[in-house]
Amino acid sequence: MAATRPLFIPVILGTARMGRMSLHPAQLVAREIGKHAGIETELIDIAQLPLPTNDAGEAIKHPGFSEKMERADALIIVSPEYNHGYSGLLKHVLDSCLKEYIHKAVGIVGVSAGPFGGTRVIENLLPVMRELGLVTIFWDVNFSNVQEAFAADGTLVDQSYIGRIDKFLNELIWMAKTLRHGRDQISLD
Amino acid sequence: MAKAASRIICPRCGFEMNHHGDKVVYGVGAPDAEPNPLMIDPLLGGFISEFHTCPNCGHIETRNA
Repeated sequence: MAATRPLFIPVILGTARMGRMSLHPAQLVAREIGKHAGIETELIDIAQLPLPTNDAGEAIKHPGFSEKMERADALIIVSPEYNHGYSGLLKHVLDSCLKEYIHKAVGIVGVSAGPFGGTRVIENLLPVMRELGLVTIFWDVNFSNVQEAFAADGTLVDQSYIGRIDKFLNELIWMAKTLRHGRDQISLD
Repeated sequence: MAKAASRIICPRCGFEMNHHGDKVVYGVGAPDAEPNPLMIDPLLGGFISEFHTCPNCGHIETRNA
């Protein structure tokens, strides 16, 4: 009889830029998912991962990050939109693993200073997620005008985000449970 | 097409692992990307990397097929 493990759904903060506005959304989403029973989470700040930049891919796999990705049942990626794209460091970090991601759920939170809430960075991340073996959900969270959504101390100003995050998380948790069952029980053979 | 049939036993907890995914690997340079030329599937142009997950502890293993 297999043991019952709690779901682990870490939040990846996908930028290392000084003064990054994505920190507050990442902290908020981590707090919200932490309220769900049976879910464990952790905020992973890619700025704190000491990955080399003179190589790439699985050759530079970080043991701690790899262990967390293996333990994860789903990922939440919080990404700002820089020139319509994601940060190079986020891609560098994601590319350092592969087997750890296969058939796991991913939800994306887009962040922008303008009105589009990171919609373009989310679209750009989708094919990357697919190639990494992650399974995307059809809910996103879009933080538009992020500098107005939070007070300077990180307090959420626009409470309407809570309901949207809740719908996003419900979908992600459903997918995480479904895919864990598939990874554990449904064989290709 | 080459297919490894035997189940993998989890090296962490001893449970039988579940083979739930395959990926064709074309590249070179990655740690797992050093195939025996005989393993390259002529139809796919690469070799298959299998993904196995332990239902008990969640450990993941890969195997080239």
